[in-house]
Amino acid sequence: MSRLERSIGAVLRGGVIVSSGCLGLGLVLSLIHVAPAAAGILLQVGLLTLIATPAARVVISIVEYTATREWPFVLLTTIVFLELLASAGAALIFNRRL
Amino acid sequence: MPPVTPALALIIFIAGGVAGALGALLGLGGGIFLVPFLNLGFNFPITTAAAISLTTVIATSSSVSAGRTGKQLINMRFGMLLEVATAAGSLFGGATAQFLAQSTLQRMFGVVAIVVALIMVSRLKRRNVILDPSIDPGVLGGRFYDEESGGVVTYQIKRLPVAIGASFLAGNVSSMLGIGGGIIKVPVLNAWCGMPMRAAAATSAFMIGVTATAGAIIYYGRGQIVPVLAAAAVLGVQLGSWGGMRFGQKASVMWLKVLMAGVLAVVSVLMFVRAAH
Repeated sequence: MSRLERSIGAVLRGGVIVSSGCLGLGLVLSLIHVAPAAAGILLQVGLLTLIATPAARVVISIVEYTATREWPFVLLTTIVFLELLASAGAALIFNRRL
Repeated sequence: MPPVTPALALIIFIAGGVAGALGALLGLGGGIFLVPFLNLGFNFPITTAAAISLTTVIATSSSVSAGRTGKQLINMRFGMLLEVATAAGSLFGGATAQFLAQSTLQRMFGVVAIVVALIMVSRLKRRNVILDPSIDPGVLGGRFYDEESGGVVTYQIKRLPVAIGASFLAGNVSSMLGIGGGIIKVPVLNAWCGMPMRAAAATSAFMIGVTATAGAIIYYGRGQIVPVLAAAAVLGVQLGSWGGMRFGQKASVMWLKVLMAGVLAVVSVLMFVRAAH
């Protein structure tokens, strides 16, 4: 297995475990009305980890392709990362205007 | 939108489980079933339904791909190239969805549901494309051990512009309607671009995480992801797709495909009926 595949596998696995754990605990706490503040935070952390996992995988790819000097793929993965940033930008703009 | 109660969370958890299991058995994401369930069944705005469904798409992509790294089934280079197109499509689709009327999105979902049903029925017996293992896969092609044929399969990528176009469209539909978009990409990659079915499916599953994220960020920023319900849906889909993959590998899915194509045809009609009101 290449280093890229190993790191991507680790990032995805870690992201799934952390996000599912937070979402599961947050869901149970909020449904039984125990520690609502903590439940809310856990749910947000779970959702953000979930959304950040593919983004983290893209960042890891940029780093690994740079290390192996595969420049076309450094460029492609950087564009993908910029596209993800652009959607965050779009979300901010919409919140101001709509 | 109905109030968030434990009963509703439980129903969505179960619906997610069923959608995830069906998705794993049929090689689809669960979104194509989850979105109409939330929108038609519970009157959630279609943007909220799509937003919740997109979070389940991300979760499925991450967990399925984590288990597959190192088996050469996922073509990472080709996937990352196509992600440029799927993420652009998704960004554009997520932004567009904010401006479209609910009825327009419902009509679009109706069209996509019937297209998915037709693709499913037309590919009931589709098998892998197998090429000579001595071929040079090139920069974008790949090589993997295929259990079904018991040998190493090598493939080259053909018609790159077609793959890129299909990926943009898939990304667009994905974030506008809350589905993964694999049902659009996989048949195109398999039929026209030279990818064996299993590699196309694995690479698509790998890509949809990034694709859905580009859309989900917009929905999240707009506050359209209801945390408790998204959590219930994500956990349900995770459990369901795990079960579907664990126990459904050997199951004959032909009758299930026909049945689900029928369900999607009904969903399509209902979407048009609801849009007309």
